[in-house]
Amino acid sequence: MKPFNKILMIALLLISGVGLVVSCTHKNDPLPASVSTAIKISHGKHIHLAGITLGDTTQWKFDKVHSAVNWSSPFLEVGADLTGKFNQFGVADLKDALMQNYNTTKQPVPDTSWAFYENEPAKTHFAGYIQTNQVNTGEPGRDGGCLITTFGTTKIVAGTQNLTVANVAHIKTTSVVFDPLSNGYIATFDFTWQGGGSAPVTQSISGKLTYVPETLVPGATYSDFGLKLEFQINKADFGVNNTEVADKVNIVVNANFNNK
Amino acid sequence: MDNSFLAYIQKLEAMAFFSGYALVYTVILSILGNRRLKGKLSDRIVSFLPISYGLIGILFLGFQLRKLYPDYSFEHIHFTFQQPFLIIWGLLSFAFLAPVLYKRPLFSLLHSCLFFYFVASDLFKQATTPLADTNIVKNDMRVLAASVILNIAVPCLITILFLGFNYIKKHKSLIPKKQGSSTLF
Repeated sequence: MKPFNKILMIALLLISGVGLVVSCTHKNDPLPASVSTAIKISHGKHIHLAGITLGDTTQWKFDKVHSAVNWSSPFLEVGADLTGKFNQFGVADLKDALMQNYNTTKQPVPDTSWAFYENEPAKTHFAGYIQTNQVNTGEPGRDGGCLITTFGTTKIVAGTQNLTVANVAHIKTTSVVFDPLSNGYIATFDFTWQGGGSAPVTQSISGKLTYVPETLVPGATYSDFGLKLEFQINKADFGVNNTEVADKVNIVVNANFNNK
Repeated sequence: MDNSFLAYIQKLEAMAFFSGYALVYTVILSILGNRRLKGKLSDRIVSFLPISYGLIGILFLGFQLRKLYPDYSFEHIHFTFQQPFLIIWGLLSFAFLAPVLYKRPLFSLLHSCLFFYFVASDLFKQATTPLADTNIVKNDMRVLAASVILNIAVPCLITILFLGFNYIKKHKSLIPKKQGSSTLF
């Protein structure tokens, strides 16, 4: 009886033990670390330098046709956004000598005042401008009428690109750094505009710069990359005091570049 | 849900009552069979094992009656019991309440071994068939664990009751009866 009982007990315990191991659900195992919801910041090593030589794929050209400078501000300071854009703009550093009327319908000055280093923002720089009389809100009466007065400029002259002091607002970066909270950059630049005043006002403004990485255009032999700059100005600082829109005006620049 | 699933559930139910007994029986017998622990009480506890097994059989009967409630017709019984032979085998455990059988605890062990066999066979199938469902063994082990607890709890309860009655009995005999107390009522 005794040896039989012992053997049976060992057999039963063995079977139960094996069963326990096989059926282990690992419920007590520590759970794997949860997926981090923090934004993963990673910067590539793309370097894009400006150029105008067609066919040279090392030179990146500003694609003005597929770029835009948009603005928005609450209508009457309280309503939904009133939006518009500027039909003429460029990526050029407008030195005093360049600020004049040009008898052309094309870009008056080369759009080459920029360089972008994805992983070395200190080397990144850009300058650009818009022609204020080329404002486009979709309402010709307003664009060619009251806004011309508000902006303190003159009407469009056909076949002329007006880059005079009274008709341009331009920017030039003073520093570009990594944005610690996103994959983008913080660009600080001088914003210069005469607006409703008698002389241009320069103000240092910071905005968010986002890089849309270089990608081969599907079905084409060239690549494209994008830069998006978002910032805000206070129009009252530039002598524009009407109440049609709020003082805070949001500006978004979408610039595309290719290496055709 | 087909009948095979109901039959499987009923097999698990029966295992929950009886499969743990074999393990509890052999372990208790091994511990209390030790010379140093051998004594009147240990012999008594071993003798309680088949009785507790019979009591678990009563619990099993109660469980089946509760399932049938309120319709105890033959049709309902026939429809409800998908494992009739297993249930009859389980109900046979009543027999261990009879003095003829509770003095032969080995029979209760053999009775319980059928239910433990299901655990062993599922484990064997799991080991030999690579695509076997692991959930079957998981279910078996959960049911076996519950059964072990039940088969430990019932003999413990019987032992406590036995000791309690013994204690009362001993102390009752030491208390002197008051003279003429019976005439008061």
